[in-house]
Amino acid sequence: MGHIDAAAQAAPTQPDAATAAPPASATLTGPESEETIHQRIGQLTRTLHDALRELGYDRELMDARDNLPDARDRLAYIARVTGEAAEKVLNAVDRARSVQQELTEQVGDLRQRWQAVAAFAAGGKACTPAGKQLIDETCDFFGSIGGQTDRTNAILTDIMMAQDFHDLTGQVIRRVVVLAQGLEEQLLKLLIETTPPAQRPRLEAKHLEGPVVSPVARNDVVADQQGVDDLLASLGF
Amino acid sequence: MNGDIRFLIVDDFSTMRRILRNLLKEIGFGNAEEAEDGAVALSMLKTTKFDFVVSDINMPNMNGFELLKNVRSDEALKSIPFLMVTAEAKKDDIVQAAQAGASGYIVKPFTKATLEEKVQKILTKQN
Repeated sequence: MGHIDAAAQAAPTQPDAATAAPPASATLTGPESEETIHQRIGQLTRTLHDALRELGYDRELMDARDNLPDARDRLAYIARVTGEAAEKVLNAVDRARSVQQELTEQVGDLRQRWQAVAAFAAGGKACTPAGKQLIDETCDFFGSIGGQTDRTNAILTDIMMAQDFHDLTGQVIRRVVVLAQGLEEQLLKLLIETTPPAQRPRLEAKHLEGPVVSPVARNDVVADQQGVDDLLASLGF
Repeated sequence: MNGDIRFLIVDDFSTMRRILRNLLKEIGFGNAEEAEDGAVALSMLKTTKFDFVVSDINMPNMNGFELLKNVRSDEALKSIPFLMVTAEAKKDDIVQAAQAGASGYIVKPFTKATLEEKVQKILTKQN
């Protein structure tokens, strides 16, 4: 059974005159009717809250609200860390491309020189048969390097393209964060509006265990390794 | 090869800007600059000559649709090719882009071949 069903069952079964629903045929017009509707919504909200409190769900609502900021921070952390990982991969791809380019140029230069040697040795006078065979095989090998670097570059392109996951997942995370923010605001309003002022609990954020995703505004964590080193130094380590 | 064609890549994700820049270079378009949202892009377009815009849709400050509308309503910019490259695959968005004057529309994730095909098609059509 869902929470809404349970709450409905726990709600007062004898509605008073103010909360009783009007007949289906009743029509309300003008500012007075608008006020009546607002009053009724307020009373329904109160009834809902009473039901939630009786069932102990107000505490759950508050817990849910308390955990949402941390959930948002964690999502933002995921977006940031995956973005950094993608950038690292792209940097590595760039470096690998540079190495490949260098290799291609060096091979091209050597191949030309060996081809000149091969042409000189073609008459068989300046080179033994085994030497000539070695020269030919070396020239063939240098010739094949170009195709291999092309294949490597194609693989590097595939690796680069795979990093678009950061953009795609980042957009999803951003939307979930917006949804969570809206939900958090609604929960907070519900809690504030339906709880007597004297009984309003302190709405403090709680922090779950795990990597520190948002060190700002927290004084119980360090932001980076420098913070760790500074702290250890202050303790004499 | 096509270094005289100057591209403006607009995307709020630096990873995607970098991927697009590298891909364009691989397919022969090595002249490209980047902007992180539509507002920055519009400012760059008004001060520097670009021949081709490749833009995302969902961005802060000014999204791709707004950028496209601004470009198409500006006498000096209205004929510039404008390719949408976005994760938005909703038909409404694609129709909206076409109606607003987009020259092409690519849905992420995409391949190098797709980008090359769309860019070449737009350039051929323009010429």
